Amino acid sequence: MPAMRREGVFYLFALPFAALTILFGLWPILLSIQVSFTDSATALQPAPAWVGLANYRAIFADPVFLAALVRTLAYTVLAVAANLSFALAFALLLDSALIGRGRLFFKLAVFLPVVTPDVAGYVVWRWLYDQSFGAVNAALRLLGLPAFGGLASPRTAMLALLIAELWHHAGFYVLIFLANLAILDRAQAEAAQIDGATALQRFRHVTLPQLRPAMAVNLVYAVIQFLKTFTAVVVMTKGGPADATNFVSFYAYQQFDSAQYGQATAMATVLFAIVLLVALTAYRGAERGRA
Amino acid sequence: MFKRLFGAAIAATLLAAPVQAQQLAIWHDLGDNGTKWLNEVGAEFAKDHPGVSIRPISYPTDQWFGRAIGALNTNTAPDLLFNNYERVIRVATQTGKISDMRPVLAAIPDHGFLTEDDLRVATFDGKMIILPVQRVQMAFGVRKSWLEKTGGQFPQTWDDARRLAEAFQAGDPEGTGKGTVFGFALEAAKPRDLVHMLDLFTFGAGLRHTLVDPDGNVVIDEPQHARVLAEVLKTYGAYKLVPPDTINYSFNEMYQVIEGGRTGMFRVGDWNVAKWDSQAIKGDFLVGPWPRFFPDKQNAVVIGGMRGVAVPVNAPNKPLADAFAAFLLGKPAQQASLRIMGSAVRPDLDMAGLSERQRMFAQPKWALIAYDFPESTLPWYPELEAAFHRKLLTAIATPPADMDAFIKETAAEMRALVKQLQARKG
Amino acid sequence: MRRAPAWARGLAYAAATLVSLLFLYPYAWMLSSAFRSTRDILAAPLALWPANAGTDAFASIREAGGVSLARAILNSLAITGASTLLAVAVTALGAYALTRRPHAPAFRLLRAGFLLSMMYPYMLLVIPVYLVMFKLGLLGGYTGIILFLSLGPVQFFLFEQFFRTLPLEVIEAATVDGAGEAQILFRVILPMAAPVVATVATITFLLNWAQWFPVLVISATPDTYTLPVALLALNGELGTNFQGIMAMALVTTVPPALVFLAAQRHVMGGLTEGAVKG
Repeated sequence: MPAMRREGVFYLFALPFAALTILFGLWPILLSIQVSFTDSATALQPAPAWVGLANYRAIFADPVFLAALVRTLAYTVLAVAANLSFALAFALLLDSALIGRGRLFFKLAVFLPVVTPDVAGYVVWRWLYDQSFGAVNAALRLLGLPAFGGLASPRTAMLALLIAELWHHAGFYVLIFLANLAILDRAQAEAAQIDGATALQRFRHVTLPQLRPAMAVNLVYAVIQFLKTFTAVVVMTKGGPADATNFVSFYAYQQFDSAQYGQATAMATVLFAIVLLVALTAYRGAERGRA
Repeated sequence: MFKRLFGAAIAATLLAAPVQAQQLAIWHDLGDNGTKWLNEVGAEFAKDHPGVSIRPISYPTDQWFGRAIGALNTNTAPDLLFNNYERVIRVATQTGKISDMRPVLAAIPDHGFLTEDDLRVATFDGKMIILPVQRVQMAFGVRKSWLEKTGGQFPQTWDDARRLAEAFQAGDPEGTGKGTVFGFALEAAKPRDLVHMLDLFTFGAGLRHTLVDPDGNVVIDEPQHARVLAEVLKTYGAYKLVPPDTINYSFNEMYQVIEGGRTGMFRVGDWNVAKWDSQAIKGDFLVGPWPRFFPDKQNAVVIGGMRGVAVPVNAPNKPLADAFAAFLLGKPAQQASLRIMGSAVRPDLDMAGLSERQRMFAQPKWALIAYDFPESTLPWYPELEAAFHRKLLTAIATPPADMDAFIKETAAEMRALVKQLQARKG
Repeated sequence: MRRAPAWARGLAYAAATLVSLLFLYPYAWMLSSAFRSTRDILAAPLALWPANAGTDAFASIREAGGVSLARAILNSLAITGASTLLAVAVTALGAYALTRRPHAPAFRLLRAGFLLSMMYPYMLLVIPVYLVMFKLGLLGGYTGIILFLSLGPVQFFLFEQFFRTLPLEVIEAATVDGAGEAQILFRVILPMAAPVVATVATITFLLNWAQWFPVLVISATPDTYTLPVALLALNGELGTNFQGIMAMALVTTVPPALVFLAAQRHVMGGLTEGAVKG
């Protein structure tokens, strides 16, 4: 039966991949979801007590969680908008005829933070924001601008976090836009120019529609990225000040650490559901766009 | 050939394994100093217990909690835990797997040096969850050279301390420019950070409770308590006498401010003295009691906690772990504790070789006042404290126009919460 | 197209330069802070050139966060290196099988399961992963960490992308010549895949070097800490020194920065390849 053996080889090839996916991907997720239906005190024992939806009811009755959920969604919207508009603007700048030599340097400069370990990057940012010797405020003072509250004020902490995260992530989005710009159909833009379209009109009606693939990719990556914001919070604010940066992922993690396993995993499941929803919607959208 | 090699390998493995190699893991959060101390004690312990080694592992406090609780709940516990009593209480309530140390204590012949207060603190929910090993004293410290530069004196009253703080900030004592140094170093990020600071000022001023009395009555709006609370909150906020980032500080950031030479007044724990005598601020500090707030109350140095050793019920090697826990109360371990950590519980220790400041803690001549440890008698206290902390943080972030009204309102909220918590926990 | 006026080009260069310098500034600050005392930083927060350069900070982190610096470096190299090799091997084989037989029901299920697990907020897998590692007896060892780090979406997409573009004629020709599937993969496909293998390996190295959370969770003692985890532990330790943290951040940042700069074309090309067309 050579044919069957031939097919069997493929299963052999896929075996290690399948094993890792099941052991370290699916199994922990199922365990986590299972724990969300059990009583925290018994969750990790051999025979946990099942409590149905009690943990879900509890988290949706917890004002801190609800606030964290709203905060997470708001932060995601803001961060995605800021990252993508910055990335698009910078990519257009680098792609324009205005920049010739030095393009690689500019590209490397914004991409280097992407491959810098996030812990190291955020440790530095935390001190750049320091109110007494941080460089951010020193620079603002030098320019005669008012001081920035940075991580110390509940009003500015989220913005401070967003800037540091933009530093770490935006380079990736710039690159995706650049890759898309490189395969643009230049003829269309030139034809529009001959027809007397202004630069803004050309951008709006010719360039932007052609950038849809990069926009879609960046949107999905960024939404998932910022919904899960975690390391920046751990390193820079620990959810503070006064809960201003307490996002769902961090709050759930804290609940884990104080043995509220049931509620923590329930929060994780809710966040997972949101991420999944976003991904599926984007996938559907992409399929429809392709058809 | 192959067989012979194989046989030799097995023989080598057998020979290499010591007679009874056993390792006891002990998880603490005291950093390199704590590890050094436990290693020394471990070496001493091994003399009577051949083949036994001690493996101290230090985690940052957050991680210590998560790990300890997770490990006890999943039966992957270490042999011993070492930390402050209130942290062990949290592990105990969330795992129910901290063993009762009373039999271990009973087996120690000369445990009379532990006072009733010590034992009360160590007891939670009818069980003795730690053997008290280090009594923790916290005094008030001032930078000596800054005092000299500004011509001030060690502050006796709170008004003195405030005036001194203003003078430090105006005087630029380090020559680094205005706005770079501060009157006080405090912490606020987590409930224990902020309430602990409040504890120090409150007890240091001679009051007996910070938030509730032993019966669970909220005390924060009683006149003297309210005064201390208002002053502490203003110090965090309106007075502008602490670094503006303080709202995000936990103890490690607070230490950075102290050791980086950016504050004039700060907490000095007995465990800080050995390091600060020789490194970091290199002996440039004076210590004394916390500032006096009220003429009718004696101000004092605060006994703010008790560190001790706990044994999980699912410790891999419980009998040996119990033996090591008891050993930590013996003279050699206590002597090393005093020398390296700056604190101990035995009174019969050799004081030679201690610095002058270390001796001030080891043989205190100043007034002492012990923290009331509500965590050990009121099981819902941590929850109340967390809510209190949330409330206080809002006042620090946006200082209320009317502090008295804020304190009254907070007191009312806390009373309602206490009722709710008492009802829930039966 | 006619050349843009000089002022427009000047403005564009000014903007691009400003953005680039802002992005690079944190590195300069990290570098200088590792060599300056807190006092000097307080006196001149913006200055980048250390007035009294010193290497005390590096001496102070030789033993920190419960692990020696040398050990943390070796751990980083070993864990990142091993997980990179494993990731490349496992993902290449897996993605190859899945693209050659995309309609096999088991493979469709596997692909969906893999994508699903990559979407889970991984920091919330702490306890489950801890439990799984415990059940498998992998807690506290290198094996567990390395295995966990050997799965990643980027790697999978890159390989899938590449295998989808394989010319089928080559495979058919080899089949006609009587080659088995294993022979086809190792003799025909892999030589063609060398560039993508190199790209995936480099990207995996960069991504895994930065990983800290799984390492922290699976480690039972600081003996298996990598540089980022040691940096975090340092960040939390009692009365730690600011210069030490910056020195540690520097040590953590330099190796991936060098690898990236040396292989920047592959890395940037690879990452966009996987994303835009995937």
